[in-house]
Amino acid sequence: MATTTYNFKRVYVWEIPVRIFHWITAFSTTILIITGFIIADPPAIESNVEATNSYWFGLVRAIHFITAYILIANLIFRLYWAFVGNQFANWRNFIPYTKKGLKNILYVLKVDILLMPDKEHKLSNISIGHNYLAAFSYTIMTVFFILQVMTGLALIGDTSSWWLPKFFHFMVPLFGGDIAVRYVHHILTWLFMAFIVIHVYLVLYHDYVEARGEASAMISGFKFIRAERVEEKEEDIIEKAEKQMWEGDKGDE
Amino acid sequence: MNTKNKSETYLEAVLRKGYTRRDFMKFVTYMSAFMGLESSMIGQVAKALETKKRIPVIWEHFQECTGCSESFIRSDHPLAADLILDSISLDYTDTLMAAAGHNAEEAKQASMKENYGKYILVVEGAIPTKDDGVYCTIAGRTAVEILKESAAGAAAIITFGSCSAWGGIQAAYPNPTGSVPVDAIIKDKPIIRVPGCPPIGEVMTGVVVHYATFGTLPALDDMGRPKQFYGKRVHDSCYRRPYFDAGLFAETFDSEEAKKGYCLYKLGCRGPVTYNACGFMEWNNGVSYPIKSGYPCIGCSEKDFWDNGPFTERLENLPGFGIEATADKIGKIVVGAAVAGAAVHAVASNVAKRKELKKHEDRGVFNEKNIKE
Amino acid sequence: MANRIVIDPITRIEGHLRIEAEIKDGKVVNAYSSSTMVRGMEKIVEGRDPRDVWAFVQRACGVCTTVHAIASIRSVEDALGIVVPPNAELARNIVTIAHAFQDHVVHFYHLHALDWVDVTQVLNADPKATSELAQSISSWPKSSPGYFSDVKNRIKKFVESGQLGIFANGYWGHPAMKLPAEVNLLAVAHYLEALEWQKEIVKVHTILGGKNPHPHFLVGGMASSVNVNDAGGLNAEKLAYVGKLLHDAKTFINQVYIPDLLAIASFYKDWGAIGVSGFKNYLSFGDLPADNYRNPSSFKWPQGVILNGDLSKVHEIDIRDTKVFQEFVNKSWYDYSKGKDVGLNPWEGETNIHYTGPKPPYEHLNVDKEYSFVKTPRWNGKPMEVGPLARVLIGFAKGIPEYKEVVNFALKTLDIPVEALFSTLGRTAARGLETKLLTEWGLEFYDRLLTNIKNGDTKMANMDKWDPSTWPKEAKGVGYMEAPRGGLSHWIVIKDGKTDNYQMVVPTTWNASPRDPKGQLSAYEASLIGTPIADPNNPVEILRTIHSFDPCLACAVH
Ligand code: HEM
Ligand code: HEM
Ligand code: NFV
Ligand code: SF4
Ligand code: SF4
Ligand code: F3S
Ligand SMILES: [Mg+2]
Repeated sequence: MATTTYNFKRVYVWEIPVRIFHWITAFSTTILIITGFIIADPPAIESNVEATNSYWFGLVRAIHFITAYILIANLIFRLYWAFVGNQFANWRNFIPYTKKGLKNILYVLKVDILLMPDKEHKLSNISIGHNYLAAFSYTIMTVFFILQVMTGLALIGDTSSWWLPKFFHFMVPLFGGDIAVRYVHHILTWLFMAFIVIHVYLVLYHDYVEARGEASAMISGFKFIRAERVEEKEEDIIEKAEKQMWEGDKGDE
Repeated sequence: MNTKNKSETYLEAVLRKGYTRRDFMKFVTYMSAFMGLESSMIGQVAKALETKKRIPVIWEHFQECTGCSESFIRSDHPLAADLILDSISLDYTDTLMAAAGHNAEEAKQASMKENYGKYILVVEGAIPTKDDGVYCTIAGRTAVEILKESAAGAAAIITFGSCSAWGGIQAAYPNPTGSVPVDAIIKDKPIIRVPGCPPIGEVMTGVVVHYATFGTLPALDDMGRPKQFYGKRVHDSCYRRPYFDAGLFAETFDSEEAKKGYCLYKLGCRGPVTYNACGFMEWNNGVSYPIKSGYPCIGCSEKDFWDNGPFTERLENLPGFGIEATADKIGKIVVGAAVAGAAVHAVASNVAKRKELKKHEDRGVFNEKNIKE
Repeated sequence: MANRIVIDPITRIEGHLRIEAEIKDGKVVNAYSSSTMVRGMEKIVEGRDPRDVWAFVQRACGVCTTVHAIASIRSVEDALGIVVPPNAELARNIVTIAHAFQDHVVHFYHLHALDWVDVTQVLNADPKATSELAQSISSWPKSSPGYFSDVKNRIKKFVESGQLGIFANGYWGHPAMKLPAEVNLLAVAHYLEALEWQKEIVKVHTILGGKNPHPHFLVGGMASSVNVNDAGGLNAEKLAYVGKLLHDAKTFINQVYIPDLLAIASFYKDWGAIGVSGFKNYLSFGDLPADNYRNPSSFKWPQGVILNGDLSKVHEIDIRDTKVFQEFVNKSWYDYSKGKDVGLNPWEGETNIHYTGPKPPYEHLNVDKEYSFVKTPRWNGKPMEVGPLARVLIGFAKGIPEYKEVVNFALKTLDIPVEALFSTLGRTAARGLETKLLTEWGLEFYDRLLTNIKNGDTKMANMDKWDPSTWPKEAKGVGYMEAPRGGLSHWIVIKDGKTDNYQMVVPTTWNASPRDPKGQLSAYEASLIGTPIADPNNPVEILRTIHSFDPCLACAVH
């Protein structure tokens, strides 16, 4: 039984703020989807309580709105962190504008999505932080999040006394009315659901297939990377990776 | 020194002193009461003190059902008759004018010429543009041509009803005659959008009275609608709102819940997305509005509301996906596909990556051994 | 040589109507009726949820609001076999009646009167004499000399302002105007009063349907549910409101409308021989079920057909007989897939708009080819006149006592023979006479509704077949009713829960349509022939006859 075995190194990829951001996102999105769908199609209940003494639906909406503001704050924070966080959190990861990025997307598509054999076995294809495809999916999600926030704020804009939601009221004439805005808001919810299914599945897939601690990384912050990929000290990789990011891939393998 | 210009009317004098026209009317009312005049004389007193031309109004009728004209004459305050006799000069309207044919057209031309730049143009109905506009002609001329002509000399345009404001029923899919609202054709005039199918009578006269009383166009929202009437959603002042907040919904018509006045949200009520005065003004001088009489709001003042059906369902059909495709149906398919895709992928990856997985396992076993050793 | 005149727009009607008439020796010798506006509603409702269609087609017309909605929900109920509860039937009757009140009164005072009444003559009227006249024909309290003097002053001031508004360029001083100054003043005073009153009676719709124009309706019944112990439902207060409005309407109609109608008519008896259609065929689908819509024998508005003015026989009709009801497009701007000259039963009807008229701007229509957006309906291949006159004649010919009573009363008061009914005068009079009957029926239905509720029957809707999953794969239905302007029918084919075909055959479609393939004229065109024209430049006589039908072209074309 000829088994080669590798040394793995523990690499700190997800800083605490990123992890906190992630779980707040996951948590608030879940709440928003649940409350959102309740708002969209509330259950029928019979009650002998006078309407003025009951407020459960108002409460569901209130939870939706409060959670929405948490989500908004969280998003703003993450956008800020994209400029000050470590290189794995940097905004450059999320836009596949380099040749390396595009190549990586192709690689991930082939090997992970279409399950084609990895003939090259190039170590550099293995991402340390996000793979570029995943990162790009987060970019698309971010756009959706922003749209969702804008449509949501537009919907409460008219009854809110705060300038922020009022500001986004411009969406309403743009879409042609509240009906259309609400509809977009509703449709986006389904896209979030689809994303979550795929996202969670792929995280688990990577965890299972690559066995590098992908899933737990969002809790611990650490991933496990082949030692050869990380010959140098952790700081060196970071420096090198950063250089790559700025100057493009010179092919270091 | 108080030398007064002889030709100055009392009104002008009052205005010069910084009073408004309303103050003036109040003054006249007190005066008349003091002099023991019947209230019906107040108008005359005011007239005697200020001689003012009534505002000329040209009312065009295109692709319409005349429901807007009908609603206009339902107005209680002011009464349509009072408005027509005292405040405005309705110089052209198909529905009410005595003259017909060339006599009617000549009256219109005369008024437009005499009041060029000063009259209010009211438009009821949409304008068909397909096939050079042959789907609505009056006296042999197309609605498009007539609209352009009457808009040219208008001080402002009021679009009464969802037809002239948004395109309305005839613009509903598949819009057989290529109907468009007024602002698709006229770009260089102030347009006051007064949507609704029809709008509430007092809203319609209210817009005119605002202009007649204050001499200014009412403040408009970002969709060109007078804020005072369209600033709120029906839902914001709906009398069933406590039931909404309490989550008490009628599931069907004439049920126990419907009888108790539960919220009609689950029956597709468009109140939460519809800007109109129904909730706070109510119809026909405050008698009721659709929701109060048991049927959900269908959003009749909203753009494209006709294509946002079915009306009695919460989620309308998605345009472009065939008639029975709601976002939920498509959403379920998309998410279902994602789940199924993941499942298939999971199975497939166990097959495709079996060597790799085997390697990991072997490595694990190997390493375990090493640890033991 | 005949002189071709054009009246376009015909005003004081609903919609876009154009009349081209050939005049020779001071008389109309030929006439063409055209509508020049189309929206394509029958196309627009294709594929829609049948439970929504009422809202769409109701927008055919805001003047006869409610009627298309009722015809539509009935067509869906017919297709799906839904029987509505008695309360809903009663409530619909009350809605129909309240609407007829408003529509007929507005037609008389605001659309029709200015053909007969000379507003400028008001200035010559003696308020005191007017008051005496008013008091001699009615016990309506507002008839003091002071009251008429106020009205006169108001009109005087208005005229003196120089801004004549809606009265500009009217037919003032026209030789066909025959009323004494005092009658003119009376009519103008009531023009203003009727304008104020009409906005009251429609509150019946506001209570039962939430608004007017265009109240909301429900397939299966009425949405306004009964709950006598809740602020939301129909309770004692709301029902009392309906009752008061119906009572007030009765007073107004009996004390203002009917006396004015007869007073004015008495000066225009010669119009009992003008505006006769020639074919004298009359059709009524009937309506106002005292029992149930499925039982036409219980209808207050009777069902049947009169042919050639023969009042001794009323023919039965079977609306489901597909060979009997047909629409033609030989002179209309539509195509049929089977060719121009065939007639189609509305269940197989088609609406393929195809304009072939002159390119605007144009002087004249090309009447040798297609010349209108109105289709041409026929019963057994015959043109039919529909409307109040048809209903009253059929009720009279059937010997129904109430009808005989009002008709005889009018004939006696005006001292005219029964044949004078087939005319412009007859049409206008019949409208008033049926309104008088409706005042009684409205209260009768109202009392029955109250009694039902008192006896514990609060059911307003039958929701058993609300869910499309309970529907057959395919179904077709027809919903008919009597609208103010006559018999209205909506024809629906439902497939897979959606509207597969929808056709509306409207009162004004019957009356205002162009010629059929046999060259037979419809009611407008036929009635105009022979009308005397004093001044071709001011053809108010044409307006009189056309207005006597109360045209609605948005309805007719849809
Ligand atoms: C509502 C559910 C979730 C949402 C909306 C969500 C969203 C996101 C987002 C926006 C990122 C990018 C983070 C960043 O770069 O700042 C991310 C990354 C990640 N998430 Fe989630 N997530 C969800 C649930 C989960 C769950 C349940 C897991 C774990 C089982 C998970 C594991 C991860 C991991 C490991 C990454 C890093 C992925 C990579 O390296 O490509 N997520 N997620
Ligand atoms: C991931 C984020 C979000 C999801 C998944 C989500 C989902 C939903 C859904 C499904 C609905 C029901 C729509 C319908 O009536 O059919 C809804 C309603 C609404 N959402 Fe969100 N939403 C999100 C974020 C937000 C945000 C950021 C706001 C901003 C304040 C917001 C404000 C609203 C409002 C105002 C409504 C309408 C509530 C009503 O009509 O009573 N939502 N949301
Ligand atoms: N013709 C017609 Fe109507 C009526 N009455 C409809 O059915 O007017 Ni608008
Ligand atoms: S907006 Fe509605 S009521 Fe007004 S004309 Fe158009 S269809 Fe009729
Ligand atoms: S009935 Fe409609 S408008 Fe009224 S509270 Fe319910 S959802 Fe809002
Ligand atoms: S349907 Fe229209 S009338 Fe008011 S309640 Fe809704 S906006
Ligand atoms: Mg038709």
